[in-house]
Amino acid sequence: MGGIAFSYHLRSLFVRRSATLLTVLGIGATVAVVAGVLALQQGFERLYTEAGREDLAVFLRPGATGEGDSVFSRDRGRRLINTVPEIAVGSDGQPQASMELYLAVRLRRVSTGGETNVPIRGVQPGTFTIRAGEISLLEGRQFNPGQDELIVGRSLVGRIRGCELGGTLVLNTTPFVVVGIFESEGPSGSEIWGDLDRILECLERTGPSRVLAQLKPGSDLAGISARLKNDKVVPAQVMSEKESLSSQTEMLSAVLRFLGAFLGVIMGIAAVFTATTTMLAALADRTHEIGILLASGFRPVGVALGFLFESLLLGLLGGLAGCLMVWPINGIETGTTNFQTFTEVAFGFRVTPMVLLVSILFALVLGLLGGGLPAWRAAHLSPVKALGRR
Amino acid sequence: MSLLRLVPRQLLRHPLRTLLTIGSLAVAIFLLCILRSLVTTLEATATTARNDRLWVQSAVSLFVGMPAWYPDRIAQVDGVQNVARWQWFGGYYQDPSNFFAQFAVDPQEVVEMYPELVVVEGSAEAFLAGRNCCMVGRGIADDFGWKVGDVAPITGALFPHPDGADKAWEFEVAAIYEPGARNFDDRTLFFHWKLFEETLTKPDESPGVGAIVVRVKDDADPSTVMGAVDELFMDGPQRVQTTTESEFQAQFVSMFGNIPFFVSAIGGGVLAAVLLACINTMLMAAREQRREAGVLKALGFSDTRVGSVLLFQSLFLTLVGGGLGMFLAKGIEPGVLGAMSAIMPGFMIETETLGLGLLITVLAGLVAGILPALATRNLTVIAALGARD
Repeated sequence: MGGIAFSYHLRSLFVRRSATLLTVLGIGATVAVVAGVLALQQGFERLYTEAGREDLAVFLRPGATGEGDSVFSRDRGRRLINTVPEIAVGSDGQPQASMELYLAVRLRRVSTGGETNVPIRGVQPGTFTIRAGEISLLEGRQFNPGQDELIVGRSLVGRIRGCELGGTLVLNTTPFVVVGIFESEGPSGSEIWGDLDRILECLERTGPSRVLAQLKPGSDLAGISARLKNDKVVPAQVMSEKESLSSQTEMLSAVLRFLGAFLGVIMGIAAVFTATTTMLAALADRTHEIGILLASGFRPVGVALGFLFESLLLGLLGGLAGCLMVWPINGIETGTTNFQTFTEVAFGFRVTPMVLLVSILFALVLGLLGGGLPAWRAAHLSPVKALGRR
Repeated sequence: MSLLRLVPRQLLRHPLRTLLTIGSLAVAIFLLCILRSLVTTLEATATTARNDRLWVQSAVSLFVGMPAWYPDRIAQVDGVQNVARWQWFGGYYQDPSNFFAQFAVDPQEVVEMYPELVVVEGSAEAFLAGRNCCMVGRGIADDFGWKVGDVAPITGALFPHPDGADKAWEFEVAAIYEPGARNFDDRTLFFHWKLFEETLTKPDESPGVGAIVVRVKDDADPSTVMGAVDELFMDGPQRVQTTTESEFQAQFVSMFGNIPFFVSAIGGGVLAAVLLACINTMLMAAREQRREAGVLKALGFSDTRVGSVLLFQSLFLTLVGGGLGMFLAKGIEPGVLGAMSAIMPGFMIETETLGLGLLITVLAGLVAGILPALATRNLTVIAALGARD
């Protein structure tokens, strides 16, 4: 005879339900905190990685670490668009490419009045051709080229002063009117868009930050990149949009992952202690029963495994409780500064299947560790002494 | 006879359980202290800066410079004693991941305006004397192994060297400083404005001036000066925003957005978990001690006194655990300070934080102890004596 019936363990957890409940909730709170941080990290990272396209190429100044510190003159940008043969040609016979200016401007939060940096993007009509289907207007209308008009991403509405239909944003000394609100997957949902030329002029910028281009199917991005790196006329570094976006997540993602791991370890210690306390009490209560089990032929290993199993069950229940606790934050929008671009991005918590899986595994590990010592003790009970206990 | 003597005895009845509970609490209070200190350190950045130094920046964007003639114009404003140009250089040493701040500055003015820059190796005079000299913080000097007399090669990501993007700018280390005030970081490199300006020869590369730091005369009112400077350029060409240094720092704190709130929320989760652990332990203790409670009651001890034994056990547990946690947190403080100096200089666990930790500890002890204490108080002698473990 080796194993002990499953129902025996279920019932013993139920008999000691107040301790079981407190332990499960304790593990649950631990799991929920870790899962919450992971959900934040997932929300942030997926915002960038899911939106990026492989068939779009981003051209930046050589040596630039991102759009923020990249600049081309207008002529050079134009030249790039006209001379790179891999850029797709539209039905109008024109290269499907757009020059874009990117700058983080100082604006104030609605809630606290505190200052933050919001990205503004000056675009050419080409951007909308390339992004057909990705950008949709929710309210108002498109800005007119050549006019002092802007459209703002939905995530900014209600968070940033002036970012509402009919609102005014002053760029240096020129007032611009918000004529539309757009929705877009990815970080551009936290951006302000307007006409490239008007914004270049009003912000007194020397030229656009990047060139965005639709590539012909099957184009060799690495090849373009190698060729343009040392180009005599317009040197540029080239990458896919996906690559360009994911490169902006490394720093904050690493910080959040570290925070999750740090909290997991520290709070995990406390949770393991709680589980151990509970299982030790269970052991003390059941010493007599265990004596009977051992005397009737159950092997010590079986008894120990039984305790581990019970503890794992505690962990599993705790993990499920944690998942339930963290579930309501799924989708809640929040914002922080991505210190790689120095701009604020809005994103939602994402309780992804990965987050849930990690949470459950984490909870099981907590249960296993918490059950270790009690299981060891149970296996080393002498049947005679155990039976002798009241 | 005082029943309080029973408190340590009862706790020693299950030494392992007592240790585990104390351990949980220590860990939780440790974590709470560290988390809270991250927030207070961040906030302190803004409050410890000086108010006689004003920062003038473009009102448009952090990344936009001001025309080169602005500093001279600002220097003429009433109440301005001195102005210094600052420009974020945005370079790196060898690899982009070696991130630290470099600024091109007016060296004389910066040395005068910032008594916080305490030169510990080399000398400020040597830094001022050589146009290609730089002054670096102790933190980066140690990290990169720079000594006085060494050349620090910095690749200009934002301002590529005119001889090619791969060529590094070279600055001779003439002085190493240590911060003379909390929250003044030790990871900045200062080099001469002249060298910066003269190396970037092409006109379209001229960056303007990133920031202008204004030292206000001692008898002048900073807010009047701020208003006067902003007024100068109200109609362009580039609007400016003048703030006190502490407001300037507060901008960066504000950028963190909701993060401080999340840290507090995490603290709430930690607290909930550990409170449950304490309640668990105390409920177990109350159950085990029922018969003894009955005996004490039968001997004539009042219900309240018998119940209070449990409350005091709870308080004793949490105070030892919480105290240990605060002790650990304080002990690890220098380590965190060192590890985080790059992102968050001046990490410190303030006395208020420890006070908060103590408050939480006592509250946890009360909450965890009150239910078992009440239950024990309300037990009848008969029921208590008849109880089985």
